[in-house]
Amino acid sequence: MSTSPRIQRTWIINGETREVAFAPVRRLLDVLREDLHMTGTKEGCGEGECGACTVLIDGRTVVSCLMAAGQVPDGAEIMTVEGLERTEGGRLLQQMYVEKGAAQCGFCIPGMIISSYALLSRGEAVSRDAVRESHAGNICRCTGYEKIFEAVEAAAEQWPREETPASS
Amino acid sequence: MFRHVGKGVTRLDGDEKVRGITQYADDLPIPDCWYGVVVRSPVMKGRLTSLEFDPAFDFDRVCVVTPGDIPGENVVDMMGRDMPFIAHDRIQYRGEPVALVAAPTRRLAREAAACIRPVIEEEPAIQTIREVVDTYKKSPDRLEKLSGQTIRKGSIEAGFADADIVVEREYWSGHQEQLYIEPQGMVAIPEKDGGVFLQGSLQCPYYVGPELVITLGLPLEKIRVKQSAVGGAFGGKEEFPTLVAGYCALLAMKSGKPVKIIYDRHQDILYTTKRHPSWSRQRTGLKKDGTITAMAVDFILDGGAYTTLSPVVLYRGILHTTLGYRCPHVSVDGHVFRTNTFPNGAFRGFGAPQAIWALESHMDECAEALGMSPVAFRRKNCLHIGDTTGTGQVIEQNMDPPVILERTLEKADFENKRRQSTRGVPVNGVYRGIGLCFFGHGSGFTGDGERRLRSKAALDLEYDDHGKPVVNIRISSTEMGQGTLTIMPQIAADGLRTSMDHVRCPLPDTKFVPDSGPTVASRTAMVVGSTVYGAAELLRHDLEVFASETLFGGARVELDDDRFTSAVTGDSRPFIEVAEAFLKIRGPHRVYNQFKLPDTIKWNQETFEGDSYPSYSWGCNIAEVEIDTLTCELKVRRVTGIFDIGRLINPVLAKGQIEGGLTQALGYAVMEKMNIVDGLYDASRMQTYVIPTALDTPEYDLGFLEYPYTHASPGAKGVGEIPMDGLAPAIANAVKDAMGIRFNSIPITPEMIFEAIRAKESAA
Ligand code: FES
Ligand code: FES
Repeated sequence: MSTSPRIQRTWIINGETREVAFAPVRRLLDVLREDLHMTGTKEGCGEGECGACTVLIDGRTVVSCLMAAGQVPDGAEIMTVEGLERTEGGRLLQQMYVEKGAAQCGFCIPGMIISSYALLSRGEAVSRDAVRESHAGNICRCTGYEKIFEAVEAAAEQWPREETPASS
Repeated sequence: MFRHVGKGVTRLDGDEKVRGITQYADDLPIPDCWYGVVVRSPVMKGRLTSLEFDPAFDFDRVCVVTPGDIPGENVVDMMGRDMPFIAHDRIQYRGEPVALVAAPTRRLAREAAACIRPVIEEEPAIQTIREVVDTYKKSPDRLEKLSGQTIRKGSIEAGFADADIVVEREYWSGHQEQLYIEPQGMVAIPEKDGGVFLQGSLQCPYYVGPELVITLGLPLEKIRVKQSAVGGAFGGKEEFPTLVAGYCALLAMKSGKPVKIIYDRHQDILYTTKRHPSWSRQRTGLKKDGTITAMAVDFILDGGAYTTLSPVVLYRGILHTTLGYRCPHVSVDGHVFRTNTFPNGAFRGFGAPQAIWALESHMDECAEALGMSPVAFRRKNCLHIGDTTGTGQVIEQNMDPPVILERTLEKADFENKRRQSTRGVPVNGVYRGIGLCFFGHGSGFTGDGERRLRSKAALDLEYDDHGKPVVNIRISSTEMGQGTLTIMPQIAADGLRTSMDHVRCPLPDTKFVPDSGPTVASRTAMVVGSTVYGAAELLRHDLEVFASETLFGGARVELDDDRFTSAVTGDSRPFIEVAEAFLKIRGPHRVYNQFKLPDTIKWNQETFEGDSYPSYSWGCNIAEVEIDTLTCELKVRRVTGIFDIGRLINPVLAKGQIEGGLTQALGYAVMEKMNIVDGLYDASRMQTYVIPTALDTPEYDLGFLEYPYTHASPGAKGVGEIPMDGLAPAIANAVKDAMGIRFNSIPITPEMIFEAIRAKESAA
């Protein structure tokens, strides 16, 4: 085994401070799934096209399959699907996704619902077009997106006022 | 009376999915797991003479499987038995496995694979359906036929003799990738008794074991198959997972380690099955008044390199090439020919989308040749109750095709909108048009397949993990997003007449579930659903008898609305109390039921005459399109659809199936394109194989009409596949209406539109 230098980071993942150490070439997706055993975030393509691996870093959506873990700085706040239920808005979105039937196979959902959260936590009024735009990077092969749009719009109507991302 | 059936009950697996805790194949924690990879042929066709192993690589660190390591026969036991598990002599397609490798890390496994080189004497190959059809027209004997079937009704010569005009056209369709978002994944764990435990992403647990018996040389009971959560399948995880399961199992049995294979997206597109490319020649005899007198169809599928499931895809295809129309004289010739490409396989619709694409484009062409409107032509010829199909099946009361057609026309305001179409003259740089498609889809297996299978279902009354009584539904039908895990408890609770709280539907594991058949062919709600309903009625009966004898002093007892009540004594006890008493006194209890196809359904598999399906779902789609003359972009603005899928078990889930299926059909019609270049698909990544995103979907206006399946409760017909069937021709018909140009091949891409506009301009 080669002992290449390891990168050390302290991140706040879903509200918890986690220390991680990893080899320089690892993707954020692999560190989350393999090292931290947070398998909620999915790999659908590995090339930035499907959005299943979408997470929030400091309130911004990124595709974790294209991001070298080393690029994520110390102190960064990372939110994955597993962290949604810690927030009121996240719970609301989860509830609406279930109620409207927005999840079928569910494989795109961890990334999709993170994109929904990012959109709604901007606190702006959402039109159908805005919903389409903000989910254009998340491919779903099951639903035809209709019920996802409905879920996001239903959540927007009841979105808690003070729910904004950690920073931005 | 149904309490749960018909309600939009929220998915029972919804909560875990939105929380990210559902475990798909790659999420399963498997200690000490090795990774498998496949070494593949770099050429399309030839003779494999040897494998060269790079002497610089230390192969002791890895496990290599070559044909000599296969304990049983080196054959994939599907319909044709012509495909070896690992090529040992002939190479028939680029990417064909020549060896398997497993190693403790993915990287090492890949390194090892790169150090194995097949030596192949290359031979000329055939790659595309265009080449197949060219040869078919000139010298069909030179083609390698994998399957063939005909349909004959009346006398086709007499039909054409009756005709005033004959309209003949050809239609083409391309490959389509299922593109489930979860790639193929499987893990094999060697068991102490010499058997193997397979867990992974698959549609049909009972395909894998029986198909691997002769390869692995194991008795069936030593091959245990469990479904992990499936991230989409659409047919792509019907027969194909048997191959991945076999690769994992062979590696696990040789290495003694658990072995997992997870395809990356690039591999998944290159080396898994696709929808069969097709060519149809539709030749139709017509009277001046619009009556169809003869329908003759040639229907060819590109099978890829081996037979696999192609014969069944062909059967469904030819049975849908004339479906929906009244015609006394029918002649259909279907063939599957070999090309040296990855074997094509199951994909939602299973031959029907190809057939209906051609048929419904052609019905518009016939109408036009007669100077009739597409609506008037379909009204004149579409099947009514009492008419017969191409195989002589009588359309019965439980379906009423013309009503679907009329309601959809009304809902879309078709005739009014059609008057505003541009008909070849763009307005402000935009062509606008509207198009129609009317179609049916056979529910369940073709012919008497369901009689031969006799699908089984069991219900177990037992304790759950918390020591509470629960009724577990034991079926091999899988959840892959469509909602099996939710509709089955709805159906069982209605059969039992309890609340849904007591009923569960765990993911199937062949150790616990009987064979209910594969999760395919739009059969789950109709066939397995009614079998579960019957099983629930049997269990209710057993519990009523027990309650009467043990708790009600012999008085007659009925279970309804979650309570056992005696009309005689007025006594009443909740379900859970009786279930607990039953478990305490008698212990766990299992009831079985089997699907029974009514004797009235008659089918001749040789001649393809009779009742080709136990029932049909029907649909009508109307597409409204716009084509920008500058960008050549084709935008589908609005899709109106009404579907008769029998009794709606869960309207929310059913609508989800329709929306998702229509969106796949949209991709099939206008976006999803792959060519074969040097034996491989040129669009082999998600960057290049483009499917509909949230920006591409039209406005959907959808509705249902319910004509339940009459032979068994609760009366669902098929929903899974029908939304895939009709949108492509509706769009092509709308494009014709808009531009005055007929496209006879899908997908209709901007490049094709550009060429067509240019050709039209230079002709003018
Ligand atoms: S896995 Fe990252 S975008 Fe597809
Ligand atoms: S729910 Fe299956 S991919 Fe979106």
